[in-house]
This record gives sequence, C-alpha cells and structure tokens, in this order.
Amino acid sequence: MCPDQESNQQLFTLWDNAQHSHTRQGEAKTVLFVILLTGPGKCSGWPFQSTGIMLKGMRRLISKVHKLDPGHVLHMGTQAPQSLAAHLDSQVSGQSPRAISRTSENDPAKHEEQHEGQHYSLPLQDMKTIFPHGLPPRFVMQMKTFNEACLMVRKPALELLHHLKNTNFDHPAVRYVLYGEKGTGKTLSLCHIIHFCAKQDWLILHIPDGHLWVKNCQDLLQSTYNKQRFDQPLEASVWLKNFKTANERFLSQIKIQEKYVWNKRESVEKGSLLGEVVEQGITRVRNATDAVGIVLKELKRQSSLGIFRLLVAVDGVNALWGRTTLKREDKSPIAPEELALIYNLRKMVKNDWHGGAIVLTLSQTGSLFKPRRACLPQELLGKEGFDALDPFIPILVSNYNPKEFESCIQYYLENSWLQHEKAHTEEGKKELLFLSNANPGQLERLCAYL
Amino acid sequence: MAAPVMKTVRGWSDLALGVRSAVLRLPGLSQVRWSRYSPEYRDPQIDKEYYRKPLAEQTEEQKFELELRKTQLIKAAPATKTGSVFEDPLISKFTNMMMKGGNKVLARSLMTKEAWGVLVHWIPWQTLEAVKRKQFEKYHAASPEERAAIERNPYTIFHQALKNCEPVIGLVPILKGGHFYQVPVPLSDRRRRFMAMKWMITECREKKPRRMLMPEKLSQELLEAFHNQGPVIRRKHDMHKMAEANRALAHYRWW
Repeated sequence: MCPDQESNQQLFTLWDNAQHSHTRQGEAKTVLFVILLTGPGKCSGWPFQSTGIMLKGMRRLISKVHKLDPGHVLHMGTQAPQSLAAHLDSQVSGQSPRAISRTSENDPAKHEEQHEGQHYSLPLQDMKTIFPHGLPPRFVMQMKTFNEACLMVRKPALELLHHLKNTNFDHPAVRYVLYGEKGTGKTLSLCHIIHFCAKQDWLILHIPDGHLWVKNCQDLLQSTYNKQRFDQPLEASVWLKNFKTANERFLSQIKIQEKYVWNKRESVEKGSLLGEVVEQGITRVRNATDAVGIVLKELKRQSSLGIFRLLVAVDGVNALWGRTTLKREDKSPIAPEELALIYNLRKMVKNDWHGGAIVLTLSQTGSLFKPRRACLPQELLGKEGFDALDPFIPILVSNYNPKEFESCIQYYLENSWLQHEKAHTEEGKKELLFLSNANPGQLERLCAYL
Repeated sequence: MAAPVMKTVRGWSDLALGVRSAVLRLPGLSQVRWSRYSPEYRDPQIDKEYYRKPLAEQTEEQKFELELRKTQLIKAAPATKTGSVFEDPLISKFTNMMMKGGNKVLARSLMTKEAWGVLVHWIPWQTLEAVKRKQFEKYHAASPEERAAIERNPYTIFHQALKNCEPVIGLVPILKGGHFYQVPVPLSDRRRRFMAMKWMITECREKKPRRMLMPEKLSQELLEAFHNQGPVIRRKHDMHKMAEANRALAHYRWW
C-alpha cells in the first residue's frame, strides 16, 4: 500500500473516531491530530465528496471546541482555539503546527496512540519508591536538573502496554524482548512498563543491569547451598535492599511455603512472611544470595496462585548467557551458570509459570566480549540464550521519528535546556537532527552542551 | 629585505600546483610562520550565509568577489572550522590551548562534546554541561525575583568570564643598562585574549584538588570569573597593580 493511501486510511479511521467520540477532550484532540496529520496535497488525493464532508464536519467540531473553556484545550499545547479555526479557514494548508510535547495524562494505563510522542510526568516521590535502581544515570541527572521526571510515550512501549493489558493470566508468562541500537530508549521503555505495572499493583522484580552481576565482583564466596556455585554477597544484598523499597507492601502479605535452614542455628519456618527472608538477606550478607534465590523461587511458585501479578523485568538479559570476567583463585574462568544469582535468574526467566509477564531488554553497552555493532537478539544472546528464551515476542526500539524528534526538542526548549541562540532556529534543529540521526541518546548528549 | 627574495621565489612557483618547493633555505633568512601555499591562494569562506545571499541583495563588490572566487585558487579549509551554526571560534581556541600532545578528542570532550563510550555517565563530563547544570540548580533554588538575574547560557558565561579576565595593560621585560625592567605596555586584543585563556588553564591545572576532574574545576573557575571573583581575576588585578607600581618605567618603551 503506498504511503499516501496508508495515511489516508489513518485519517479516515481518526475521522471515524472523531465522529463517534463522546468526550469533548477526545474530539478536540482528534481535531488537532487531524490537522497535524494532514499535510500538503493529501486532500487532493481524496475524492472530493469525502473532503467536503470532512471539512463540513470539522467546522461542526470546531464550533464545539469553541464552547470548551480554554483550560481543556490548554494542555494540548500552545495553540488557542482561535488559531484552530484559523488553521481550518486556511483550508488545511500544510503549515507545520507547533509540536505538542506534553500531555496531562499521567496514568500509563490510559496512554493510547494519540499520546505518542508526548511526554508525561511522573511524580518525584513515586520515582524513589518504584525506581530505587534501574534508571539510566543520565536520566537521573536530567531529573535532578529539571526537578521533574518526564518520559516520552513511544510506540514500542504502547505496543507492550497493549499486550500487557490483554494478558491471560492462566497462560504461561509471555516473554517480551526489547532490542535495538545503542541509545534508542530500551531502558526507558522498560521503565515506562514498570511504572504501568506498579500503578496496576503488580509485584515488580526489576534487575537493573544483568551485566553488573557478571563482572567486577570483589568478593566471591563459595555457595553454602551448592558447593559448585558461587555467591555474590554485595550485589545480592544491594538488590534485596532495592527490592524491599520497591515492593514494601507485598513483603508483609506473601508467606513462604517451605522451611529454609540458613545454618545450624537459624532457619525460617514455613508460613512466615517473605519480608523476614529479605531482612535476613540484608542483615546477614553471607546469606544474601541464598535469600535472593528463596525470594525468586517463592514468587514463581506463588504467582500462579493468583494473589498477585508478577512482572519480571531484566535489563541487559544477555548477560545471563554470555561470558563472565570473574575468575576463580586458580585463574580459571567462571561460567555464568556457576554464579548462584544467574542460575536462579535463569529459572525465573523460563516461561513455566503463569500469573504475570516477563519483559527483557538486551544491551550491548556493558556486555562482555560482544562486538559494538551487535544489537540483534541472535547476536547478543548467542545460541544458548536464544534457545532458552525462545519463543519470545521481539519488540524493536528505533530512533525517533520526525514527530518524536520535534516533541523532544520542544520539551527541551520548554525547560530552557537548549540555551544556545541558534538552537531555537530551524537551521539549528536541522543540524541537531543531522548530528544525532534522531538517536535519543545522542540527542540528549548534544543538547547537554548547547 | 625579505621582499625581493619573495619575488624570486614566486618565479619558481610555476610548478604545477603552486606549492613552494622545499629548496628554500637561504643563509641569514629564516622564515617564521611560513605556509606551503603560495601567495595567490585565497582563504576559504566557510560562512554558508555568504553563498546563500540572493543575487539581488549583493552589492557590486560582493558580486565581483563571488566571480573572482570562481577562478581563484583557494586553500583547503582546516578540519576544525565547520559550517556548523553552533561553532564558536573562542571555544575552539580554548580547546586547542587545553589540548595536550595533540589529543584533540580528549580536549574537546572535556570542553564541549561528550564522547559516546564514556564509562562514567553520572557526572557531567564536559565543562559547558557542568556550568549549565550548576546554573540550573541555582535557578531552581532561587526565588522568582532572583531568577531573572541568573544567566544559564554556558556560552555567554564563558565569553563574559574570559572578558572579565583580560588584563588592560601588560608588563614586558625590557633590557636597559644590563638589567631587565618590567615595563607597563599596552596589549593588543589577541594578546589579551591569549593571556586570559592561558591564566584560566594554568590555574585549573595547577591549583586543582587531587581527585577533582578538569571540567568541574574549570566550570567552578568560569563561574567565579563571571562574577568577577576568584583566583584568575585576582591575578589580573595583580598584573594591573604591578603595572601601576612600575608606572615610572613607562618611558623605557620605544614603540
């Protein structure tokens, strides 16, 4: 289907929505969206009748918009209702409208395609509880500088949200893998999903970076549970602390269903709370890895019972099946499955449980012994990883499309982050597009010094 | 003295590309700052606006210039001069002065452009970014009346800071009667700019605490200089005081 026809199709479906939408906000938004989408010359491709109907109907909608108080229309951007009418009066003459960069819809559950490309803000208090770890460091810097946390609603995240909303919790957990080039926004899409699940009251098992567990471990102990495996007390205890912050309320509700013995004097009885296990792991650092293992096992077992929904979110999942840089005392390398944390996590990522979903992200930065250009699942996971994760739903995260790029620039301009005089001009924007190639990470770094 | 020598040299440069031959050593004549280009080469015009001006707006001279450039030989543009709208010659000069051992990549990443593969992400790696973030912090912490006074553009801060550091008058050692006297002397614009940048860089290199990175120290110094405080401004004032003290020696200058 040629792009012109496709866009006409889109316009028509939007037009249908506009006719049937009941909310005034929806009408106003669809009107604005129709104006955005209609570019020069597109009307000419249509048969004249439908154009006439469209314009007549639009005038009707516009009259409705005029009745809306400005407060309703304001959040959609800086266009006042008068300019809407002016746009229509000029017969939709394809002047590029001001990009809308923010939306007031802060609940991820209600994000739809119409919000695509717009930023929604997350309350800073929530950020501390939902994301004690797992946000990209530059995003944290940006949060600190702007005093607000805004994520862009993008297509891969919307797709994932749609799938998550329609999950059948009796079927085994579906695995979704976010992959893409470096800097395209995989981690932040994952954060969007986590925010959604946190709002929906799911239990979130978030491993911020799988690569941190397979390299630079200072203290590696032989595991007490299984002599062949290795413990990582520091990493495990840090993760348990963050897990506790993120899921406080579940720790006092879930009860473990088996007795676990820590050592000769300490044990955890059947029926005691999961919080106790986590406390034990945080206080007794030697048993932290085993505590993590217990937590994972119990959660997997009990998510099928339906008391809670479990979201397993792992960033940098290709670390689980790669190589490690850790060595034993005799300098022989350790394989990932010999690390207890990795072993238990692999069991978690298998789809033999139900009652939740598994969202994974591949990451080349931080990966070990993988070429820089590798970004596809097959390249990063290797044969072993791919077979272990197969079947999964791959979701490509790509660079910004022109609309998202405009929106991002607009967001930076609104926060006065782009201070250079030339950055406000068309020339400057074109240059930014060229230099960053619409790559979100590169654009962020470019705008940092401008 | 050098002029007649040049004329003979020009006669030689009938060689294909107009490049001067290497056999140019003449006793008693050393060339300082020579270029491989012979004199008929023009400097390149990097500015895009110059070429985009429509024909109607151009004056007679500009039209003549354009026509002339079509036939003249033009030097190659240096790699550091871009047609970018964000280019700033002062920043480029400063980066070049900060560069050590030809490592322009490092110097540039410290000053402006961040390197993509840098492992340490959580601190601003560039001076301009550090300056911007500090100013934003101050902006958010300030009350609405004070906000208008806080400058957040790192480029204006940089330019203003260096301008504040420029000395008005300089000292030159002049040999008279077997002794060197520090004589106050007016400085040219480029000498002043150079001195300001040099002082800034030496200050940041030498008086830095051990674990502090250059961008952080530089951003600190730039912000202090912007507010007319700090060690670099003090050094400028010291220079002025010395010049004032040696005022009597001013007649030693003969130019």
